Amino acid sequence: MSLTATYRLGTRLFWRDKAMLFASVVTPVGLAVGLPTLMRYVTSGGVANAAALAHSTIAILLAITAFMNIAVALTGRRDTLVLKRLRATRLTDGQILLGQIAATATQTMAMIVVCTVAVRFSAGVPLPADPLAFAAVTIAGSVVLSLLGAAYTAAIPRAELAAAYTMPVFLVAGVAAGAMGPIPLPAWLRPVLDALPTTVVVDAVRTGELLTPVLVLAGWAAAGVLALRLWFRWEPRRS
Amino acid sequence: MTAIEVNGLHKSHQGFEAVKGISFEVAEGEIFALLGRNGAGKTTTIEVLAGFQRADAGTVRVLGLDPYADRAAVRRRTGVMLQEAGFFPELTVARTVETWRGFTAAPRPREEALELAGLTARADVKVRQLSGGEKRRLDLALALLGRPDVLFLDEPTTGMDPEARAAAWTVIRDLAAQGITILLTTHYLDEAQRLAGSMAIMDEGRVVASGGMAETLAARGGRVSFRLPAHVDPGSLPLPVTVERGLTVCHADDPDLAAQTLLTWAAERGLRLAGLEVRPATLEDLFMERSAR
Repeated sequence: MSLTATYRLGTRLFWRDKAMLFASVVTPVGLAVGLPTLMRYVTSGGVANAAALAHSTIAILLAITAFMNIAVALTGRRDTLVLKRLRATRLTDGQILLGQIAATATQTMAMIVVCTVAVRFSAGVPLPADPLAFAAVTIAGSVVLSLLGAAYTAAIPRAELAAAYTMPVFLVAGVAAGAMGPIPLPAWLRPVLDALPTTVVVDAVRTGELLTPVLVLAGWAAAGVLALRLWFRWEPRRS
Repeated sequence: MTAIEVNGLHKSHQGFEAVKGISFEVAEGEIFALLGRNGAGKTTTIEVLAGFQRADAGTVRVLGLDPYADRAAVRRRTGVMLQEAGFFPELTVARTVETWRGFTAAPRPREEALELAGLTARADVKVRQLSGGEKRRLDLALALLGRPDVLFLDEPTTGMDPEARAAAWTVIRDLAAQGITILLTTHYLDEAQRLAGSMAIMDEGRVVASGGMAETLAARGGRVSFRLPAHVDPGSLPLPVTVERGLTVCHADDPDLAAQTLLTWAAERGLRLAGLEVRPATLEDLFMERSAR
């Protein structure tokens, strides 16, 4: 019951924050629909290239709508002592975080579905051949990136720095998944980028292969849970 | 029965010892005031009692439970009004209460909580538009939602206007009359004196005075103050006096008797003790004396 309450609260606040909506919804959805559409009609790459780019932009949605949004939201609530107030209720720490992670992951998943359908009509990108596998890996990716975003707040000293601190994550996720176009990278860097949670989700959507991506995501999830337990701060640092 | 027990509590933050071995007890259904200047250690004590922080040493029990180790169990029976805690500014007052009801088992109805805090007329206002005092009232509404057995109120009426403060006092008294144990901190000594049955004064992390409010103040006697004519030597008075801010003050166990003695002495000499005031000791006298040491 309390978990449902924190989930509903997280969802309500996601859509209430108009400033964040521009960053968390308008920008990534614009990129995830606009880039493949441009690719389809402006270049000679055709549907194949548009589809490849559409898959890559899932990394952008995960990095922004899941990771950045939850990091900014939780850092803000930590620094304004809203998290502390929530802890004054009967909610457990787990219910507070899990409700927020589930709410953010749901919105991310909704954005991924909207973009997948939109590029079907705007750029002719085929819908996923195996919808169940697509759903499984994108849901897992949304949850893991939301979890990692929550854990990442420990590294963010103040709320006003939250967006800036998540920007490198967005850039690396986008480059690693190919959403920023072909960028020459040193050979040694490729395996590292391929192990990013955003990249494995894009690879799974692209290839349909699930086992390795799911194992990698499980590893990231375990790291995220451990980091939350060790370092998550419920209150701002005392000066 | 004892609702809150604090025994030899120590708590430090980053090397600074905020609480240095304090002990006190609060009986069930009692209003207990924890007093002290800023930095005395009151909020740290409340935060340990409410389970936000673990005691470094000593024991703390709320309703017989360790509030840190058994936080979930303690939370089911306590309400907390923190000195500083944020709200979701975009939610209305009613929506905030409704949301918090979702976090509470068997909560009070929303209208009842709003009425208790005097916020019915502000139900549809967004939290960011509330004044500081109204936010404190919303804080109180949230703390009372779960019908707690023990209530921690950290500076409950700060920022409230006099009318709202009087209304909050009535609510607090009514809650205590229902058997709820209340531990409050306040900067308003008149508030503590009006509400609390017992108190402890903290200074630099230590309890420097504690006990039942009435007994402690009665034991301190009272004071008689007046303006002595300029030509009269204070040393010639029949009782020992001090001069404080232009007033001659006589501290006495029985201030009425002292006043009679002084007036008789003055009448015999044809003197007038202008502005004579007799009053029992107040919490402010005790506080100023103890926290100034």
